Amino acid sequence: MSSTETEPKHGGDLLQLENVTMRYGAIAALQDVSLGVAAGEVVALLGDNGAGKSTAIKIISGSVKPTSGRLVFEGIPREFESPRASKELGIEIVYQDLSICMNVDVVANFFMGRELVKRVLGVPVLREREMQRITEKVMADGGTKVKSVRQNAEHLSGGQRQAIELNRFVYWGGKLVVLDEPFAALGIEQVRRGLENIRRVRDQGLAVIIVTHNLHHAFQIADRLVVFRQGRLVLDKSTSDCTHETVSQAITGDGPPVQIQ
Amino acid sequence: MSLSDATRQTEPRAGSLRLVELFVDNIVWAILAITLLAFCLFIPGYGQTGIFLNIVEQSAFVGILSVGLSIAIISGQIDLSIESTMALAAMATAVLVSSSAAGFGWTPQPLWLVVPGSLLVALCVGLAVGSFNAFLVIRLKLNAFIATLGSYILFRGAVVALSGGKTVFGLPSPLRAVALSKVLGVPLLAWVTVAVFLAFTFILTKTPFGRYVYLVGGNPVAPFRAGIRVRSVSAAAFLLSAVLAAFAGWLLATRTSGATPNLGIGMLFEAFAAVVIGGVSLKGGEGKLSGVVAGVLLLSSIRTAVNLLMLQPHYTQMIQGGLVIAAMLLDSAKHSIRSRYL
Ligand SMILES: Nc1ncnc2c1ncn2[C@@H]1O[C@H](COP(=O)(O)OP(=O)(O)OP(=O)(O)O)[C@@H](O)[C@H]1O
Ligand SMILES: [Mg+2]
Repeated sequence: MSSTETEPKHGGDLLQLENVTMRYGAIAALQDVSLGVAAGEVVALLGDNGAGKSTAIKIISGSVKPTSGRLVFEGIPREFESPRASKELGIEIVYQDLSICMNVDVVANFFMGRELVKRVLGVPVLREREMQRITEKVMADGGTKVKSVRQNAEHLSGGQRQAIELNRFVYWGGKLVVLDEPFAALGIEQVRRGLENIRRVRDQGLAVIIVTHNLHHAFQIADRLVVFRQGRLVLDKSTSDCTHETVSQAITGDGPPVQIQ
Repeated sequence: MSLSDATRQTEPRAGSLRLVELFVDNIVWAILAITLLAFCLFIPGYGQTGIFLNIVEQSAFVGILSVGLSIAIISGQIDLSIESTMALAAMATAVLVSSSAAGFGWTPQPLWLVVPGSLLVALCVGLAVGSFNAFLVIRLKLNAFIATLGSYILFRGAVVALSGGKTVFGLPSPLRAVALSKVLGVPLLAWVTVAVFLAFTFILTKTPFGRYVYLVGGNPVAPFRAGIRVRSVSAAAFLLSAVLAAFAGWLLATRTSGATPNLGIGMLFEAFAAVVIGGVSLKGGEGKLSGVVAGVLLLSSIRTAVNLLMLQPHYTQMIQGGLVIAAMLLDSAKHSIRSRYL
């Protein structure tokens, strides 16, 4: 099938990848991929190992620059110099290994890189009490219970750590959050809470991309399903128009060819 | 982990856990108190203000080295070169101002200018060594242990080269005064050491930079993703450990009124021992200077006891070596206590 025939403007209005190709030497990790995400939408990114999902995320985050094609965010073509640049625009990546420091407390993690300071004789001093107050409030508003925001993250469960990241993202005015394999290491109950967290984020009108190998999770949470195979986008459909069969066929490449929406 | 976490959340024992944690974190102070008490009881002449002041004064050089080393280790690095940096700064100070044959004999007008002048030179030596280490480890991505071991050997060689292998002695009186004067009956060196500890305790616990040192030492990936300049934080840690070592070297030169080619040999090990005993984890991201102070004082009080008992100095070595091993055991015990009860 030829995925090159996808229209340049595709899907949602918040983020668009337009004809993006990414080569690592001879390997084409992504080939002419066009994909869009809208605010208030959860998109599940599916595909086998090496299909190019993480590569797409790295491009969205600004960790790597695409070989060709462009990225449009909020209607403006962007060239992210670093993850910092995408972050400043409100794009947040929640990695599988999580961006949490186990050796410091919830507050320090929540404010990582954005610490509140006051100047004392020109010296920046952390405003610990204010940061604690905000962390407690945001965690409570986000429906996350922790015994104390002053305990180190190592004492929290995987789901609670993930919740820190999501709450942090919402609080700092994030617009698009990308979760790479968020449930791989979580138990059933934790996954349920994780899905709830994601729903809550979406219901606040934010966009979510979730990378997963688990079709059940994808069908439970996503509004739209996108499948990559060997660097090409081979399926992009609203979840209600998909069945487990069509999606797994798209992933493995078996069975009758599937159409792009 | 999910199962034990789930059960843990339902147990309302935060208060007693705080206590356990508090005890585990400050155990080195308890050990110091017990040791001092035992020495005072059993060693004639130990329980005197003069002895205690001496302990604090003796702690100056290893103490300041330990502060720098702690910052390097907490940030997830290691700096083995501090002892040679200290010696090189001391030798640079001595060569600059000494009136002896090997000295340059700098005598500015007015003479007190030798104090800020030589201090500036010493600190620049520290900056140079720190930049060199940072370049090797952060830019060239060499293993910090090996790279700073190389620096350790290299800069000790530089000390010998700078002095022509000879002792350089005879410092002008303003510099001698730094080491000899007292303020409110307490040696200036002790005040300076206390000031360094307080200043860096403040920096590590109250400022964003201090926070970053812990974050980078705990998991450099997370602060990198959060937009923190991880490499700059690591570089700053190397610079600080070297500059503090150079400062200790400058103080040591004023104290010994010069420098010998083998000045301060063995202090790296002592600083290392103090840091580990003080509860700084070699994994990085963990430890407090308040513990390190206790570690330094503990080692110093043991050395003083050995001196008072007129034992052979190698007993100090044996006791200190034993303490390091004990500290490592304590560290792993702390972790298992944590994972069991916290
Ligand atoms: N830095 C790199 N250098 C060279 N090749 C790379 C690099 N990163 C990814 N690749 C290759 O690009 C292809 C796509 O990789 P990617 O990590 O995006 O897959 P993925 O869909 O995330 O797979 P998984 O489900 O296993 O995480 C693979 O063939 C991979 O080997
Ligand atoms: Mg991947």
